[in-house]
Order: sequence, then C-alpha cells, then structure tokens
Amino acid sequence: MSSAAQIKPEDIIKHLDQAREVAFSNPESYPAIFRQVLLFTNNPNNSIQLWCVKFIYDSFINNTILNHSDKVDLAIDSLDALFTLSNIKDLPLFLQIIDISCIIFKLVFNYVAENDGCNQVWSKLTELKNSLVNKFQSNFPLDPSDNQEHDLSRNIITKIELIKFIFIVIDYQSKSTLINTNNGTPPPATTFSLNSVSPTHSLIKYNNMEYESTVLLDMILKTFNYDILIPQLISSILNHSIIIMRRKPQYSSKILNIIENYDSISKYQSNYQSLEQFKLSKKYVDRIFRIFIHHCLRNNLIPNNYQNSLTKKAQTLQDRGNEIRKKNIFAIEEPNLKKRKFEGFYNPTKRLKVVDYSNLYSLNETNNPLNTFNISTVPQFILNNMVVNALQKSSVSKLSKALEIISDRYINALNTAGTNINSQSATPTFRPPIPNNNINNNNNNNGYQPTQQYQGQLPPPQNQQQLKPYEPPGGYDYTTNGNGNGFGKGGDEYGDEEGEEEDEEDTYDPETIYTLPPPKDLSFQDKKDQINIIIQNFFRLAKNPTLANKVDVDDDEELKIKPDDDENVKVNKELTKIAIKSWKKDSWIILLTRLATRGMRSLTGSSSDEDKISPDDKINQELSDMIRNSIFEYFLENIHGRIDIIIKWLSEEWYSEKVFNEELEIKKAVKLNQGKSVKSLPPIKTPIYNKWAGKVLDAMIPFLEPSDRKIFIRLLSDLPYLNEELVGGIKSLCYDPVRIKIGFLSLQFLIMYRPPVKQACLNILKELSESDQEDLKEEAKKLLDKYN
Amino acid sequence: MAVDSLKICTVCASNNNRSMEAHKQLRDAGYNVKSFGTGSAVRLPGPSIDKPNVYDFGTPYEDIYQDLIGQSCRKMYEANGLIHMLDRNRKVKSAPEKWQNNAYAGKFDLVITCEERCFDSVLEDLMFRMYNKEDQNDVRQVVHIINIDIKDDNENALLGGKGILKLVNMIHDFRQKKKEDYEDESDIILEDQMMGILTEWQKDHTHLPTLYSISYY
Repeated sequence: MSSAAQIKPEDIIKHLDQAREVAFSNPESYPAIFRQVLLFTNNPNNSIQLWCVKFIYDSFINNTILNHSDKVDLAIDSLDALFTLSNIKDLPLFLQIIDISCIIFKLVFNYVAENDGCNQVWSKLTELKNSLVNKFQSNFPLDPSDNQEHDLSRNIITKIELIKFIFIVIDYQSKSTLINTNNGTPPPATTFSLNSVSPTHSLIKYNNMEYESTVLLDMILKTFNYDILIPQLISSILNHSIIIMRRKPQYSSKILNIIENYDSISKYQSNYQSLEQFKLSKKYVDRIFRIFIHHCLRNNLIPNNYQNSLTKKAQTLQDRGNEIRKKNIFAIEEPNLKKRKFEGFYNPTKRLKVVDYSNLYSLNETNNPLNTFNISTVPQFILNNMVVNALQKSSVSKLSKALEIISDRYINALNTAGTNINSQSATPTFRPPIPNNNINNNNNNNGYQPTQQYQGQLPPPQNQQQLKPYEPPGGYDYTTNGNGNGFGKGGDEYGDEEGEEEDEEDTYDPETIYTLPPPKDLSFQDKKDQINIIIQNFFRLAKNPTLANKVDVDDDEELKIKPDDDENVKVNKELTKIAIKSWKKDSWIILLTRLATRGMRSLTGSSSDEDKISPDDKINQELSDMIRNSIFEYFLENIHGRIDIIIKWLSEEWYSEKVFNEELEIKKAVKLNQGKSVKSLPPIKTPIYNKWAGKVLDAMIPFLEPSDRKIFIRLLSDLPYLNEELVGGIKSLCYDPVRIKIGFLSLQFLIMYRPPVKQACLNILKELSESDQEDLKEEAKKLLDKYN
Repeated sequence: MAVDSLKICTVCASNNNRSMEAHKQLRDAGYNVKSFGTGSAVRLPGPSIDKPNVYDFGTPYEDIYQDLIGQSCRKMYEANGLIHMLDRNRKVKSAPEKWQNNAYAGKFDLVITCEERCFDSVLEDLMFRMYNKEDQNDVRQVVHIINIDIKDDNENALLGGKGILKLVNMIHDFRQKKKEDYEDESDIILEDQMMGILTEWQKDHTHLPTLYSISYY
C-alpha cells in the first residue's frame, strides 16, 4: 500500500479496472481480488474510494457471479472497510454504503444467527449498524446549516435511504408474527425471522434485539412529531411501516396511535417553504395517510380497537381531499395557516459576494435597508449599550452560530483572496427562508406573530449536534459494545414542548460554543526560542533609533507608526490606533517587565522555598529570568544612562512580587483561620526582587565614578525596597578613598529618607567606625553621633 | 433532445390514452420511458357507455386497432379519436402493460400516474411488494411517484402529456446542476428540492392537480 500511495490515482484506478475485469471474467479469482480491493478503501483519494465502493456495491447487489457462501465471507471481510467508509463525508459514496449495508447486514446477521460465538463479527456488524443508525438524526454527510428547522428539510435523500436500512434492522431484530395469514399471501421463503434464532444464542438475545428495534422505531416515528410538514419523509416512513403492520403486531399500535392523532392541519408552514408548497404538502401528506389506512383496512391489518377511529380518519381525509380536488389549490383561502417561528438567519451564506466588513458581518436579508446604515456615526456610548444589550439578549447557541458563520466567511474570503471573488462560479445560493408576505397576518391571534421574529425574541437553542463535527445524536444514545446491547434511552426530539427548549436555552453548555482547537504544547526549548524572539524584538525597538523614528508623536503625545516604504516596518495604522494606543518610546520596558513579572508567574511561582516550586513554575521562572537577564545586560551596557530603565523594571518586579505573595499569604492565613478574616500578615518576602536588585547594585557599585553621585542617590531613593543586605554593598564604596563621599552621602541619605533601612545604615556606620582606616572611622563616628 | 439516466414510467388505467400520450412525448424528447396501466383490464369506449371494448393487458395495440376498425362503429371510433389513438400507440410499443406485473421492466426512478386512483393503486402495489418480496441479492430503490390528474380524453391527454414533459424537463434540468456551483449541497439534491419543483410546476398548471409520494421497490 505504501508503494501504491506513490502512484497516481488515475493509474491505480486503471489497475483496479483491470482487476475488476479479471474478477468478473474469472469467478474463482473474484474473492481474492475483492479482498485486495478492500485494502484500497483506505486510500485517501476520493476517486479511488468511490471506485472501491462501486465495486463492493456491484459485488453484493444483483451480483450473479459470486455464490452465496462467498458473499457471506466477503460481507464479513468488508465490515471494517464499510465502517470506515461510512464516516466519509461524501454523499454519493455514503448512499452506496447504505445500500451495501442493507445487504451485508442481512448476510452477516444470518451468519451470526447460525454460528453462535463469533463475537468479533457480531461486534463489527454492530459497529457498522450503529454508525449508520446514528446518522439518521444528523445531516451527515452534509454540514449542518444555521438552524434546526432548515436541517429538517435538508439531506432528505440520506434520511430516506437510512429509513430503508433502519427498517431492515427493525425487521431482523424483532420477532415476526404474520398478520392475516388467511387472506394474505404468505411471506417469501427467504424472509428472515428472529423466531428462527436459537433462544439461547449468546449474542442475539431476544430481549435486547426487541428493545433495540423499539428504540429504532420510536426514533423513526419522531418524524411525525415535527411541527412542519416534510411529505418525502412521511411517505417514506409510512410506505415502510406497512412491513411492521404486516409482520410485527407487537409494534403496530405505535404506528396506529400516531396515525390516529396525526393531523396536517396542526402543522406549521416552514420558513423554508412557500405558502403554495405548504398547501401542496398538506394535500400530499393527507393522501398518503389515506392510502396507508385504506391498504391496512383492505388487508385486515388493523386490530379491532383501531378500526372505527381509523375508518373515520380515512373518511375525513377523503372528504378533505375531495373538497380541494377540483379546485385550484393555491386559490383556496386558508386563514388559519400558521408559520413556524423563525430561528435562523436570513443571510446565512458562508461565501462573500463582496469582500468588505459590512458583508462579512451582515446576517440580515441582503436587501434589508439596515445594511446600508453606517453604524460608525452612532456615538460610542450608544454603540456600547447596543452591543451589551444585544449580547445579553441573544442566546449563546445563536450567537456562537452567528460567529461561526462569520468565521467561515472570513476563512472563505481569505482562501479566495487573490482570485477575483466576484467572478467565482460558485455563487452563494444558500436557500434563504421564505419571507412572510404570503401569510395572513390575522394569524397573530393564533399565537403566531411573524413580526416578532427579530424583536429580540430568544429563539430556542440550536440542536447541539449542529455545532459538532458529527456525533451520534443526543436523542439516541446508541453505544457500541461487543454485544450491541448498549442502548441509551431515546430522548431529544424535534418539536418537543417549548418548556424543554427554554430550559435548554438557559443552560450554558460549553460544548455548543465554537472554540478554537487548543494550541499545541511548546517544548521548553521552543518556549525559550520564542521568548528570545520577543526579547530581541523589544530590544531592537529600544536600541534602534531608526525604528524609533518611525514612531511619531502626535499632538496627544500618542505614538503612531508611520507608514513606511520599508516592508519590515509597515504597520497598519488602524491597528496601531487600537492595539498600542498609548505607545511611548519606553513602553517596551513596561511590556517586557510585565511579561517577566506577571505574564509568566503562576500561583506558586514565587515561593521562596525552592523545594516547593513545581517543574512548570521552574520553567516559567527560568523564562522570566531570561528577560530579567537581558534587561540587566542592557543596563550593564550603559549603567550611567539607563538608570531609569532599571528603576522601572525593579519597581515592577517588587510590586508584582509583593502583591502576588501577599495574596498567597492571605489565602494561607484564611485557610489556617478556617475561613475567618485575617487581621495581620507576616512580612511579605520578595526574594526575586532582592536577588535582582542585589545584582544591579553589585554590578553598579564597582563602576561608580565620583561624578555618579546623583544617579546613585536617585537609584537608592527610587528603588521600592531596600534591606540590610542590599545596602550592605554601600560599605565597599566607603572603603574606596576615591568614592568615599558617595558612600557616606548615600548612607546619610538613606538614614534621613528611608527609615526602614535606617538601622541597617547605622549598623554599617558602626562597623565602619570600628575600622582601622582613620578617615573612614572619623566620618562614620561623626554620622553615628548625628543620627543615633 | 434530453439525455438523462432517469428511468421514467407513465401510468394510467388502461395504458392507452393518457399514459401513452405522455409516453410518446417523453420518448420523442429522448427520455428512457415505459408505460403501464393499473386497471384490471384494458377498457376502451364501445358502441355505448355500458358496452366498452375490453381486452386483456398484453393484447397488442395492432390487434385492438384491427378489431376496432373491423367493428360496425368504426366511424364513431374514428370520430372520437380512438382509432387515431391506437394508431399512435402501435407505433410507440407493441401492447398495453399492466403495472402490477411489471417486475420484468426493471425499476424506475420516477413514476407519473395520470389519475388519482392509479396513484393509489401504484402506492398500494408497492406496499404489497414491500412485504411480499424478499430478495437477499437486491436492495430496495427509492422511487418518486407523482400523480398528475388528467381527464381521459384526447385533448386533455395531449395537454397532460405536455405538462408531464414540462415537469420531467424541470427535473432533468435540476439534475444537471453541479455541486461546485452551489454553497449548500442540499440545493442539488432532488429529494430536497422536489417539493419546490412540483410547486413551481403546479403554479403554471393549476388545471392539473398533483399528488406526490416517495416509495421503494
């Protein structure tokens, strides 16, 4: 297969065609060729997949070359491939898979019935069955539309094909009792019956089979509860239900109850059908019911307890049909017609005809005059209120669906960028809902108020399945296990009571929100590389005067990046306005220091106890230290000119650490006090600040010149926190005869203006006063006497 | 001339007038078409209303034609268009065929009946086949059954035939739509859009009431 993947798909298909010819001309080689073809179903190329499916189809349906036992063997061999293929989103392919599965299911079910103990085969068959059955309530292989109502009338071909498969499953998995054997023709000899399976079969258990059949039938019959009319589905189900009426008396009451209570008059006009279409739908559905009832009555398939009511029902439907038979159905006045409340978007297209922001965000009808209104003329505060109100009123599911549409439009616009979007052959043709102009507005008294649709009414939430790629529908939890016994309860159904929908609406379900896929985890080295890039970018901004000149101070002292010919510094002016509105030339240090001090700090990050630091925190700390180190080195390049940078950094450093550790202490204390408020806290430690402030002082002090007096004093003055250890460095200045003045001046300044370190400074003076250096001793004693 | 893989059949009671006129028009337009009758026998007008000419399905049109022109009321049959009808029919196919026995003819994608009771008969027959036929080697196929109610006379058969051709042309045109040209694949799925097609057609043919169902066989 790996070598086959290298070959062009057309060449593979040529070879497959040759193999097919051999198979059809030489039946003995057919099974071997078939098994080889199955290997190609894994090929990702759609043409090859379609070829394989067609070959499988021709092998099982109306194939006279293969004998029955070969077919059974090949059916078993095909189960894995069919399961995989049944999840490929391709409509023609999927429809063929359903047809193939109709045959395969019968063959393999029979095989398992006759060969107890083949657990693996049974498990695979169950898997395939579930894969198909679970798709009935979805729109697979189509993507869901913007709302549930629209989805009900989409992808009908798949639904009616699946109905076929599901009825086969129901027929095979339930006991048969032939109704009206006297008048009716006996069933063909080939008809399978669960009755013929051994009651002690370890896999096909009667109760489980019957239960599954019931659930499946209930799921299918839910279609009749839709509050709109879809004649294609109704007729498909009724025409299949005749099998139940004939062979499965245990389920006939389910069908007859529905028929008894079904009335097309109670249904709503869909927003996706015209009034004319709705009128025709009613007529068609009524006729189908009538034919079904007549057929059942004529063939004595209806139990006595239903006969009267259904005879009446048939008569009513006949009268209704006769009444409109000779009339122009469209001209008949029907004042009581009701239209379903609209829950979708009038313009749900995901392809933009004109690529601009207005079209990108517009979900109104394309000809809605509101679309031309320039919202930027509305004052900001009104806009804010409008947006906040709108967000409060819209349901989470609807909002996320709207954003999903806009996101898809955006992606589509980006993907088609570079081509002339207006000349695309694929024009947006998403069927918009039919406007209300056909409906009689007097209907409002009946509860239907078309004008309310866009007045902030909260529509019921979308079906969750619509927002997921594809999952088994919530209403039919058909879990797979080896025995195929995993059945959940039937639940979610379209057209349920309002109350349930409202409940759903109030329930925030994060699964209904469109979320971006989580980013891939970066390795530590990747993180380091990224941090390095960030650091380099910031320092490029800090160091490069040319780049700095691109930044223009406007009257408000706000910086904007000038448009420039240089491609590297082209920055979108509009973006600059918003994203870095108050950019100043030293803003980089704030961003960088905050990234180090807050951006990468986690809750346990500043624990002074090294042993308690988690590995993640250690990594974060290491990354933060990369930034700190780079700032530190930047400072070392020019310690005289970059003292402001250092003060800003260390201030940020101390403040963040203090606040952070204080919070930790509070939490700790509250925990200790069992939730009671805390009155006093232990002194808050700032080890990271202390470490880096110490490094700065240690690096600076040896290089201080006598003329640096002012900047050093400024540093001591502005550093947010000093302790004995930090001020200890000043001692070395005092020992240096050249810089002795700076030393004592600093100590004097600190004694006077930084009381928290007064004692530390006095201690230093005391120590110095005991020195053997006379001038030092004298100066120290003098100050000691003055401030002690 | 339309080239379409769609397999169509037209159905009326006796497979002589309405279904045969539509059969001819569809065949002339290039469609793959057959026709059938759902009645118990072929009944054609006779000398009086209570004396129809009754033939078994399968009796060649040629034989019926010869029988009628050999009758004393030949002039009447010529005047009411019966002779002309049979002359047309014998050029289209050999004999009237019965719907209920048409398994040999294969399966159709589209069945167009010309009378409500024929529509009912076709659906009931397919229901019967649904539980009475079990082929391990075959799979049931979806079939669209449309009734277009046409009065059983020459003029209406002609008008009805034109209407049927128009509807089939609409379906044919719809099937030519390409997936790439539409954002939503549902827009090119016939089953999704059939109600829309029928409604559009019905708007232009309000004198030809319709019925519609999906069935399988």
